[in-house]
Amino acid sequence: MTRIGWAGRAYMIWCTLFIAAPIVVVCAAALNGGRSMLFPPQDPTLGRFVEFFVTEEVWTRSLANSVVIALASAGLATLLAWPVAYGLWRSNSPLSRALGAAGGMPFVLPPIVFGVGLGFQWAFMGILGTLGAGIVSHAALHMALPLATISIGLQSIDRSHLDAAATMGATEGTAFRTVVAPQTLPYTASGFFFALVLSFNEFIVMFFVSASAYSTVTLQIFNSLRNGFTPTMAVGAITFILTAALVFSAVARFGDLPRLMGADESRSS
Amino acid sequence: MTGSAIASLRARLAALAIEDSGAMGAQAETGDETAPGTTQAAAAAPAPVAAAAQDRFRLFQMALLVFLTAVCVAPFAIVLVVSLGEPLPGKAWDWAFSGQNYTRVFVGLDWPDSTSFLYLQRLMWSFIYAAVASVVSVAFAFPFAWLMTRGSRRSQTAWLVFLLASLSLSEVFVVMGIDILLSNRSGLPMVFRETGLTQLLKDTGGFQWFRDMGLASPRNVRFKTSVLATVGSMSYLVFPYAVILLYPAFSRIDASMLEAARTMGARPMTVMRTVVLPQVRVALIGASLLLFVFLLGAYVAVTVFADPAKQTIAVSIYESVRGATLNAPFGAAQAIVLLVTAAAFLGLSTLLARAGGPRDPSH
Repeated sequence: MTRIGWAGRAYMIWCTLFIAAPIVVVCAAALNGGRSMLFPPQDPTLGRFVEFFVTEEVWTRSLANSVVIALASAGLATLLAWPVAYGLWRSNSPLSRALGAAGGMPFVLPPIVFGVGLGFQWAFMGILGTLGAGIVSHAALHMALPLATISIGLQSIDRSHLDAAATMGATEGTAFRTVVAPQTLPYTASGFFFALVLSFNEFIVMFFVSASAYSTVTLQIFNSLRNGFTPTMAVGAITFILTAALVFSAVARFGDLPRLMGADESRSS
Repeated sequence: MTGSAIASLRARLAALAIEDSGAMGAQAETGDETAPGTTQAAAAAPAPVAAAAQDRFRLFQMALLVFLTAVCVAPFAIVLVVSLGEPLPGKAWDWAFSGQNYTRVFVGLDWPDSTSFLYLQRLMWSFIYAAVASVVSVAFAFPFAWLMTRGSRRSQTAWLVFLLASLSLSEVFVVMGIDILLSNRSGLPMVFRETGLTQLLKDTGGFQWFRDMGLASPRNVRFKTSVLATVGSMSYLVFPYAVILLYPAFSRIDASMLEAARTMGARPMTVMRTVVLPQVRVALIGASLLLFVFLLGAYVAVTVFADPAKQTIAVSIYESVRGATLNAPFGAAQAIVLLVTAAAFLGLSTLLARAGGPRDPSH
């Protein structure tokens, strides 16, 4: 293994600072006592946190919407992704491939186009602006993530375990319950959490399908953009970045993050 | 198969999606990994019971396909259908089969009497912002991914958590942070003013350059609104993404090859050029293309940081569908133009990945 020289370290630190700078600034701005976003914060207070989580209804309601949509859509996305990934793993039939293609399509194409299309579709069906339509929209958009992680998990299953199960007379159902499901659980959970965090932060598709009937935190912030940012919004940013950090730490703790991200297994130093 | 990333799966799914829609004729195998279950599962299956189960599963798959088509594919088809519609006076529109919205996108409403390239110009700005930002972010991500994959698996995991957390942070929060960093009262202009840099620039005449570049008001430097701020914030948005996309290729670089080159007396730069670069070239180009497609649809950063005359097609789509101008079929036509552009570049990156696949040195 090559050692990283001082120049390399300096570059890593510089990049880290670069990534962290806007996030740190936003977090610090949450402490402002006044109404404007100043850095460094003036008249520091924690009152904004109380506003965001307790007293200001516009934020508590958006936060509740964000949480409901993220949880429900991630759950639905994982449920939809499982049979698709399983089908692709079992046989590379045209049907399985069509399913994989359909499920992955919204994620790889520009979300603004998908959002516009969903907006039309829900409007024709008369359910534009309902929470349910929002949940299905996000599930469709983010289904590619659990699909990817579950596929990786299925491919990591040791073939000999399945052969052993089959030899000893296990039906497909039993083999699934005793071999496939336990070995892919961490990958399923990772997929769920990826979809959860992305839904939490997603903005543009929700923008088109909510049709101003309700708002999530990101929507509410965007809507307030013209009037300028306020420190209360920064509390939202802190909440979101902490959630993401916690979730991904958990994924790293219980799953194999480098493998999920495509590292070569043979180099497990 | 090799451990495949979300990223490479994303590319693979893109390949599947494109094949499915028939936009690409080639029906070749998708990359290095085809479903491994096929042969073994068929061999191990005890005939009649398994066959019945197989049939049930196929039926279930068909039902699922109907549902997924309705929620994942139909929206794109609806955009296409609406784009052929006819706008009526007021805010309404009607179904039709007309190409007038596309004519308007490409040559303007009054063609052939007069031509206007307003919307092509917006598409051009989409291209410029996305192209520059994707290349910049990949250029910065290249050394970062290299250094990161030289560390232990533990440190790699820590970096991945950090990158994923910042990657998933919503565009609105990132824009908010950069907005503060560029604001006159507490951002870079304040730093310029307070440190005397502004005065220094004025004294030495460098200030005029900032004025000429549109980066200064008569009193101080000013970064909003500017192409620099737009491209900068877009590069920032995709930098963690770029590292994650490059990560698989870099983590598979064979350390023993590097050592061999070193032992034989190659200098670090030579090793980089002759051993590392050939192994990651495809990944670098592929990542740039994927980020380019991703950035074509960037919205918040453009609305906040770009000059009104330099807005992109994504902003224009929003204005037509939900915003000030309200002309749904026209918005849909612009969306289709964006979609086709994105799909074309995705197809290109897939072809590239396939062409580069067999040369993957780890296999």
